[in-house]
Amino acid sequence: MEPLVEIRDVHKVYRRDQFDVPVLNGITLAVPRGDFLALMGPSGSGKTTLLNLIAGIDRPTRGEIVVDGRQISRFSESALAGWRARHIGFIFQMYNLIPVLNAFENVELPLLLTKLNKKQRREHVETALRIVDLADRMNHYPRQLSGGQEQRVAIARAIVTDPTILVADEPTGDLDAKNAEETLELLHRLNEEFQKTIVMVTHDPKAASRAKHALHLEKGQLAEGHYGYDAEKAADA
Amino acid sequence: MKFFKLVRRNIFRNRLRAFMTLALMAVIFFFVATLISILQLFDRFEDQGQGANRLVVQSSISLANSLPYAYEQKLRAIPDVADVCKMQWIGAYYKERKNFFANFAVDQDHMGSVFEDYRIDPAEMKAFQDDRQGCIVGPELIKRYNWKIGDRITLKRTIFPYDAELTIRGVYHHPVNTAALYYHMDYHDKALPPQMQNHVNTFWLKIKDPSKMAAVSQEIDGMFRNSADPTETVTEKQFQAGFMAMMGNIKLLFGSICTCAVFMVILLAAITMSISARERVTEIAVLKAIGFERPLVMTLMLAEFTLLTLLGGAIGVGVAKLAYTIIPMGQVTQGFLVGFTIFPATMAVALGTSILVGLIAGGLPAINATRMSVVDGLRRVV
Repeated sequence: MEPLVEIRDVHKVYRRDQFDVPVLNGITLAVPRGDFLALMGPSGSGKTTLLNLIAGIDRPTRGEIVVDGRQISRFSESALAGWRARHIGFIFQMYNLIPVLNAFENVELPLLLTKLNKKQRREHVETALRIVDLADRMNHYPRQLSGGQEQRVAIARAIVTDPTILVADEPTGDLDAKNAEETLELLHRLNEEFQKTIVMVTHDPKAASRAKHALHLEKGQLAEGHYGYDAEKAADA
Repeated sequence: MKFFKLVRRNIFRNRLRAFMTLALMAVIFFFVATLISILQLFDRFEDQGQGANRLVVQSSISLANSLPYAYEQKLRAIPDVADVCKMQWIGAYYKERKNFFANFAVDQDHMGSVFEDYRIDPAEMKAFQDDRQGCIVGPELIKRYNWKIGDRITLKRTIFPYDAELTIRGVYHHPVNTAALYYHMDYHDKALPPQMQNHVNTFWLKIKDPSKMAAVSQEIDGMFRNSADPTETVTEKQFQAGFMAMMGNIKLLFGSICTCAVFMVILLAAITMSISARERVTEIAVLKAIGFERPLVMTLMLAEFTLLTLLGGAIGVGVAKLAYTIIPMGQVTQGFLVGFTIFPATMAVALGTSILVGLIAGGLPAINATRMSVVDGLRRVV
């Protein structure tokens, strides 16, 4: 399958006070279009940093990141923001909805950057909310929703622009088992039914088991031989 | 406009803080608008003589010193002088001391010629000129004391040793001076003891050619330089400014208070806005992550802060406008603030200042909040 994301010898070093802290050390990776990839690893292994680089909200210290044939690591800040608006859908652990906007308005937010008129935006938002099964909650504010519902609104916001990639950082980390399962089922459906490419960071082997593939990071490097997920091993764990 | 909803909701996201900020802005801008209006009232008072072709001849020693009537003929003899009108500040009050307003004795036969900018019905002017105890008053006084033409009034003595028994014969109209009273110079002079008679504290001169005012002024002062009563001849604007200066540098004082109030409100607004911006670091990071560019996020934040301060300013100015429409400030301040209101120019200045407060106070918090990288902003909560 044609790779959608190509990561070539990427290094990331953070500067903390006078110290250089290496986080990623020469990562090379290709994510095929339509994949559902789980990034796993202990805290500090660099999985969220790798996700941020793929999503274009951070830049590598060295190396190249090519998404859909375009080398995003060379984009200007402004070009990168525009690129993210068109190609990336974000799902966060803490949902990160805007509390002063209701579900409809939260989902509509990314569409405000497009040239769609009000009617077209409404159609898109209603479709996204129907997909996450929250069409009847569109006038509810985040404080009026459960954690699981908030995360589904966040997913609707992520998919409303029909992005190329969905990036999810611990999307079930703040949810109970039932809501976590529903969220994972939704992501699975988006991947299977709508062919969305998803890159998900998770600590949870159960969550990773819903992905097509899983990668393990250790100290900023990919653990060898882990492109592919061993469901049996995960279940034992 | 499609972002307006987000801006509006963010203004009132913390209602208590928003209302406290609005209340603070409203109170301070109430006082700022009041002080600016007082300053503008003074400016209007000073400017009422601007452009007029009038000179004022007064004693060079002080305005309290008088000049002899005899000077009038010498002033009339100057070729560039079209007309001369004697005028004496009386300083009396009506019934009680709190009922104070500007009142003058004036040369009734030359007033209309020299003060062409004062409009009065010709019949009323004639009635005034024909009645030795007649007087004309401004419309503000008619309203304030519920007077009407034909009413007999008494002005109680202060500087001069007599009470003036007068009959209202007319109402003059002037764009700035709306609350003064003028009566006959003859009546005033005859009421004085002999040693005080035939003296007046100002001569008002109408000059034929305004471009020659400086030359005429020098000529007059030169004429009386070596006399017992030397003169100082000034333009009407200079005269009004000198009159204002007698109150001390009140404009500087009020201006300073205004500046301090605005500076204080900037600091307080900046603190509120910093707190608001800090609370939203993660939200700002989310907006940037989903594609909002930094200038757009900053514009939205500044729009929010500026709308808040503008709203507060508008409430303060609006309440001030309403209050001074209801409260007769001329009466409350015993004639000090006659014609006081919140002028349209004041409203524009105050509202402009409130926008500026929002931009200055919100500028730094908006820059700081949007400068943070998306990754650092998201990390704040995780």
